[in-house]
Amino acid sequence: MSISRIFSLCAAALVAGLALTLAVSSGTVLSLLTQATIYAIFASGVGLLLRQNGMASFGHATFFGASGYVIGILLQLKAVPAEAAIALAILGITGFAFLLGLVIVRVPGIAFGMLTLAVGQMFFLTANRSRGLTGGADGMNVEWPATLLGFSISEIVQPAHMFGLCWAVLVLCLGAVALLLRGRFGAITEAVRDNEERARFIGIRTLLPRAALFALSAGITSVAGTLTALNTGFVSPESLHWSVSGVALMMVIVGGYKALWGPALGAIVYFLAKDILGDYASHWMAIFGVALITVIVFSPTGLAGALGRLVRGKKAKGRPRAATTARTASTTQAPAMQAGSSAQVSKAAQAVH
Amino acid sequence: MSEFVLQADDVAIHYGGVKAVDGVSLTLTRGQIRGLIGPNGAGKSTVIDAITGRVRLTRGSVRLGGQDVSALGATQRRMRGLSRSFQRTSIFGQMPVRRQVELASHKMGVADSGADADAVLKELDLLPLADAIAEDLGYGEQRRLDLALALVGRPSVLLLDEPMAGLSVQESHDLARHLKALTARWDVSVLLVEHDMDVVFGISDVVTVFELGRVIASGEPAAVRADPRVREAYLGSAA
Amino acid sequence: MLAINLFNGLVYGALLIVMCSGLALIYGLRRVVNFAHGSLYMLGAYLGYTLASHSNFWVALVAVPAIMAVVGVLLDRYGFRLLQDRDPLTVVLVTFGLLLIVEDFVQTVWGKGNLSVAVPALLNTSVTLFGTAVPAYRIGVIAVGAAVALGLSLWLRFSRVGLFVRASSTDPTTTAMQGVNTDALSAGVVGLGTALAGLAGVVAAPFLALSPSMSSDVQIDSFVVVVIGGLGSLSGAFIAAMALGLIQSLGAVYLPDLSAVLPFVLMVAILLWKPAGFAGSRT
Repeated sequence: MSISRIFSLCAAALVAGLALTLAVSSGTVLSLLTQATIYAIFASGVGLLLRQNGMASFGHATFFGASGYVIGILLQLKAVPAEAAIALAILGITGFAFLLGLVIVRVPGIAFGMLTLAVGQMFFLTANRSRGLTGGADGMNVEWPATLLGFSISEIVQPAHMFGLCWAVLVLCLGAVALLLRGRFGAITEAVRDNEERARFIGIRTLLPRAALFALSAGITSVAGTLTALNTGFVSPESLHWSVSGVALMMVIVGGYKALWGPALGAIVYFLAKDILGDYASHWMAIFGVALITVIVFSPTGLAGALGRLVRGKKAKGRPRAATTARTASTTQAPAMQAGSSAQVSKAAQAVH
Repeated sequence: MSEFVLQADDVAIHYGGVKAVDGVSLTLTRGQIRGLIGPNGAGKSTVIDAITGRVRLTRGSVRLGGQDVSALGATQRRMRGLSRSFQRTSIFGQMPVRRQVELASHKMGVADSGADADAVLKELDLLPLADAIAEDLGYGEQRRLDLALALVGRPSVLLLDEPMAGLSVQESHDLARHLKALTARWDVSVLLVEHDMDVVFGISDVVTVFELGRVIASGEPAAVRADPRVREAYLGSAA
Repeated sequence: MLAINLFNGLVYGALLIVMCSGLALIYGLRRVVNFAHGSLYMLGAYLGYTLASHSNFWVALVAVPAIMAVVGVLLDRYGFRLLQDRDPLTVVLVTFGLLLIVEDFVQTVWGKGNLSVAVPALLNTSVTLFGTAVPAYRIGVIAVGAAVALGLSLWLRFSRVGLFVRASSTDPTTTAMQGVNTDALSAGVVGLGTALAGLAGVVAAPFLALSPSMSSDVQIDSFVVVVIGGLGSLSGAFIAAMALGLIQSLGAVYLPDLSAVLPFVLMVAILLWKPAGFAGSRT
């Protein structure tokens, strides 16, 4: 995707978000949208790791909840101004994730998932039991000051403004990631994901890029954690539980992890559908479970993939892609090539003999 | 100053009691294409693994452009210009063609990696497929992509591990034509492990014959073809 | 008292043996980490409750594992088998989806309140063991755990089917080529695995309260056991199950914070040191 395309898509998304804040007057709806958007950011972090490294984390809730806890504790200690607390939380968690990543990204397959689950549970248990530091199972309040970056907190948390803020952060995060992944870093991580041995053979050091990507995905998730701490003014151990990570992963799969915006779509669908279901909301998790299984079996690229196919079908442009089976004979050569080289082919046949 | 771009001396690879490669010496001069043939299990792929550094030598040495590279790893040897393709296609499935070739070129230290990638893709008739995702390509196209990844950064030596495997007759001849053309144009020396006899005898300057981990014959194609030991071991007396 | 805590540790350990051997068997044969296993345990417990209240505990003890075995066979036939060529993560997520469905099913049918199952009359006494009075039922639980451990070990080691299971765990392709019907074998073993989860549930019902959270309570513990024991290794699971039961029981009293975190530290350590069990030799 070209740079200009990314910029224009982001601009359009921002405008759409702004339009929503002006059009929707219901505080409840905006609040729901805010929640959905926060989880969209959370899921985007999880999805980035899956898409770029091919790794599924069952422990990203750690970075989500930790953000709120770090800010909460710093504010409680009145150690630093709120702006600095936010920066410290996000950068600190990203840095920690990088160090953790250096150790754990070497672990392959589902073992990685179990590892993240175990690490996540360690944090959950610690937060759950440290009454003094974290308020224990009851959680703790995040005592925001009166102003943040010059804006008054009471103004910021107004439903329309909060949604606008979260949406803007989502769009900017996705845009920034899209720009980043166009370049060398994106290519390197994709190569390692697709074929580690060949990647090493062409000279790529496989550990650092993956650890960096893990850190980036954690950072994005921690941004979501910051926003939720701002939105609710509260943080509890539940936000660190592995089931939260599991749900985020489900959003990624249902939304589709190949598209950068897939996980965000999954999160938004999750919240909107849950809300629409109303009376059946108590069965929501089961329904989402069915949706997950359905997507996995019938549309592995998720909703985003299905939407993409729909759009491509409508445009019906260009020549179809070559067949996917690996062991097909020459019949799958692209038409353009056959036209040009057939003359050379007969000459070659003579040359070789 | 050695005149050989590649020199393997008394190379041996022993796996426990199994002597996969047992005292093999071969050389490549500049711009030369050496074919390497032999029955299955003769140790041909292992020789490539040994020369490129994918497996450790039990005995012997490998010299690239006169320098001993026996202690270097595969990646380091690649950086010095000792490249290879893979018998089982080894590409980056979900990346577009040009993107991965350009990355490989960049990693080789090529300043204008885009131009290098385009040149290699053009040479292998892959330029029309530059934006296609690797796993969507046909088998023959994927084999050429595997080769493209090996050709960036203008290696001085290229070891090809059964590049024609699974290709149709037409595709094999096309690829052979490509190989002959680019080795001449780019001054690459090639060691070609292949089963397709037409191709091997068609484009090789010299041929080496393997059996049970050892060289049993080596020389000009015509002479090797006529060698009675070779006929008995491999070609069959009807050849 | 130390003796009581030790004893309770053995009881919980025995329960984990029954449950985790099922998880280990399913992983060994299908390379699937069954995230739904805890919910199947819970389903077994609730089914046991219903059957026990309509007839008696002993009927439930036999019927529930049988029912859960059928569930397992269906799960393998229509779940694991159809997805076996897909990425392992895919199947794991499907079991996660299944977990949500089963949990919701249980809540819908039996409600959210705590239920209890009466201890069967036969075992409703105390026995004096090493100077302390312990409920006879709990001794029964330990006996069940021991029986399962012994039975499975003997079966795997000495029976023909056991041999096929071990072979299939190591190399499914070659085993299939030898003429072993690996699909039927997998269905059988997964059925056995889910039956064991159900058995654990029925056995647990009289002494643990039935609640919607019982699934997640054991789920994590069972992962810890199976990872520390070495994936797919039954004897490892047995030892780790006992160890975890004891750590939790003793630890809760003497070193509560450390004992809660310790299993995860061990799990992390083992996954870093030997992820090979998970990475699997199966391509």
